[in-house]
Amino acid sequence: MIVPVRPTAPALVLLPALALLPVLIVVLNGAHGGGAEILGSFVVGAVSPSMDPALLKALLIGLQVTVATALTGWSCSLVLGVLLGCLSSERLWLTWSLPAWPAIVLRRLMALPRSIHELIWGLLLLQVLGLHPWVAVMAILLPYSCLIARVWRDQLQSLDPSRLQAILQTGSSPMAACMTALSPAMGSVLVSYGGYRLECALRSATLLGVFGLGGLGMDLELSLKSLQFHELWSGLWLLTLVTIALEQGLRCWRSWGEQAQFGQRQAMGFAVAVGLSGGLGGLWLAHLFPEAGSLNWLPVQWPDLHSLQLAAQELPWLSMLWETLILTVLAAGIAIGLPPLLLLLNPARPWQHCISGFWILVRVIPPPLAVLLLLLSNQPTLAIGALALGLHNSGVMGRLLQEGLEQQDHSAQVALTSSGASPQVGWLYGSLSPRSPSHLAYGAYRSDVILRETVVVGLIGGSGLGWQLLESLSSFHWAAVLLLITTYAALTLIGEWLSDRSRQHWLQS
Amino acid sequence: MASRERRAVSLLAVLLCQGVTVLPVVAQPTLKVGAIPDQNPERLNRLYGQLADELSDRLNVKVRYVPVSNYPAAVSAFRTGGLDLVWFGGLTGVQARLQTPGAQVLAQRDIDARFRSVFIANTSSGLQPISSINGLTSLRGKRFSFGSESSTSGRLMPQHFLAKAGVTPSQFSGGRAGFSGSHDATIAVVQSGAYEAGALNEQVWTSAVNNGRVNTKKVSVIWRTPEYVDYHWVVRPKLDQRFGKRFTTRLQKAILGLKPTTPRQVTILELFAAKRFIPAQASQYKPIEKVGRELGKIR
Repeated sequence: MIVPVRPTAPALVLLPALALLPVLIVVLNGAHGGGAEILGSFVVGAVSPSMDPALLKALLIGLQVTVATALTGWSCSLVLGVLLGCLSSERLWLTWSLPAWPAIVLRRLMALPRSIHELIWGLLLLQVLGLHPWVAVMAILLPYSCLIARVWRDQLQSLDPSRLQAILQTGSSPMAACMTALSPAMGSVLVSYGGYRLECALRSATLLGVFGLGGLGMDLELSLKSLQFHELWSGLWLLTLVTIALEQGLRCWRSWGEQAQFGQRQAMGFAVAVGLSGGLGGLWLAHLFPEAGSLNWLPVQWPDLHSLQLAAQELPWLSMLWETLILTVLAAGIAIGLPPLLLLLNPARPWQHCISGFWILVRVIPPPLAVLLLLLSNQPTLAIGALALGLHNSGVMGRLLQEGLEQQDHSAQVALTSSGASPQVGWLYGSLSPRSPSHLAYGAYRSDVILRETVVVGLIGGSGLGWQLLESLSSFHWAAVLLLITTYAALTLIGEWLSDRSRQHWLQS
Repeated sequence: MASRERRAVSLLAVLLCQGVTVLPVVAQPTLKVGAIPDQNPERLNRLYGQLADELSDRLNVKVRYVPVSNYPAAVSAFRTGGLDLVWFGGLTGVQARLQTPGAQVLAQRDIDARFRSVFIANTSSGLQPISSINGLTSLRGKRFSFGSESSTSGRLMPQHFLAKAGVTPSQFSGGRAGFSGSHDATIAVVQSGAYEAGALNEQVWTSAVNNGRVNTKKVSVIWRTPEYVDYHWVVRPKLDQRFGKRFTTRLQKAILGLKPTTPRQVTILELFAAKRFIPAQASQYKPIEKVGRELGKIR
């Protein structure tokens, strides 16, 4: 008899950290001290950020723009994402005794918006809508709502169907059955996942300042261009403060919900908050940009078949795809594997707080800045891009993991350690093990994000699909842009298929 | 039950009220200005009010500074009418005018008619100063970085001179050139040794050296390129219809009339690193267009 050998759940979570090995070998091999002076001035900038009144004024105005854009984009993407998520769930179509194929088609179609970075969406929308505050909102809305829809749909599908079936058997309408059987579980998904998306929206809005809205991100970008580290840090510290405030606010909200045992009401309250913040953000944007005017659709000229063929021959497909895949896989490995690895080193409280601080720091530092900093003490390799992207996203994954660990029951860990297991082993099997499936699931969604973020580090890495896309956009070579976007979508679809398959294979058996 | 329904309705209303903010607002004609200078662009982003006020006072129209920091975005915004007057680089200005028929060149700086780039090298790279363009062949096999991908002085013209010497980016170490993102970043990555050589705007290099921001023991100039034209003010067509007779001419005069006489004008000229602005013609930028087409940056 053949016994299939499968790694245990916590091992699966730690396995991706192996990506660190090749990356660190290359990075340490190329390390040099040539950029010490500039790195030093970066560190000095951190402890003495500029307090120039003109700068602070610009930053505060910028912060308003960024927050308003983030709130609006977040709110709209949640509403749309939940809607699309329900529509793309086969289970809901079947509940209404309808064929399930529209759900599958919709789900596949959503790979396109999801696979393209916000910055690229902004540039594309600018072509057809002109300069408008809502271009930035929509640039967030498109990929975000499709990502939320994917998470929502996966959660809906993974719920135990027996309750729904039981209620349907009693003869109640499909709507009532769904509301009764599914909404309690989905409410808590909405609150925890939805809250987390707000911080993501804030980071994206920071990137999108470049489209005529200004904002915190524009100031950061310009200060980075001229390497004014004191001024750069004023913006980074401000962003850090906002991130911490947001994280603590959401934590308070959650603990309030847990104590009050008002799961349903908490979800309702959250939905109202989502709606209100969307309205507030929209009005705020209208107030900040009173002359924005209405949105008009401008005509576009699509590239013809001949120019597409020419562009296809011009692009270096093999090296481009190879570099993008390597970059994505290594960065995703670091992002997924590093958080549990760091937590495993020492499960004690003070260390965990230090690590939370580290997650915030790597989330706040934008990937292009991270690449530049790494480059100052290294040589330009793909490993630098992977490390920058991986660290940035490990901040996101680390936050999610820690949040999940805080919420779960600690009795298993306590039982293991009191029965003589070391703190590490107790933490590994008592705490990490139950979180493994969801950490891996979030890791799969993160890999999507990392793939589209290869655009952001493409520039300094000078490689891969991302760089080609930026180069084609800056040459207004639309045929190549169309081909590259399609490639991104195809890669995202393949990634989705792989993660679905592996989830079935590893975790649901 | 009734109160629950009422709550559901009000929730729906709240969700729908987001849409209201997209409704049109009637606006007076406003001159929308955009600019991304090569040097200390972050200062203009904070002091743009000075430029807007100066133009507004001289022209008697509302002027608004629109912060667009991404080159392709600025070109597209100019084409779609989101920007009326833009301080473009050589390449981006040509791209913008080709995409916006009827757009005009208004002015350039005194230095823009005779602009240069410099090639710099890390002293430990073993690269020696070059006396003629053919010396650029010594860069083959080296790690080399340009600045931003749309920059005329940090990418287009350096790549053009390299091509003239028979050097293509695929001959650099790693089979490609890096893109540091900006002129100052190019200095930083070459000084640190991450890249062995790079190319950037001569003006930015000179001022970085003068301000003591360069360690000249570690990085030095190996070649100055021949002269070419760079930055220019470009306006959208048909501004006269929106702002009144001869508006475009008045606008040109206002820009050419900026002299270091009042503190505000001193600041503005400083923000653009200009002594003064001089008239410019579209024909001056023909060579840039030719190079842009050769290198595939203009299609």
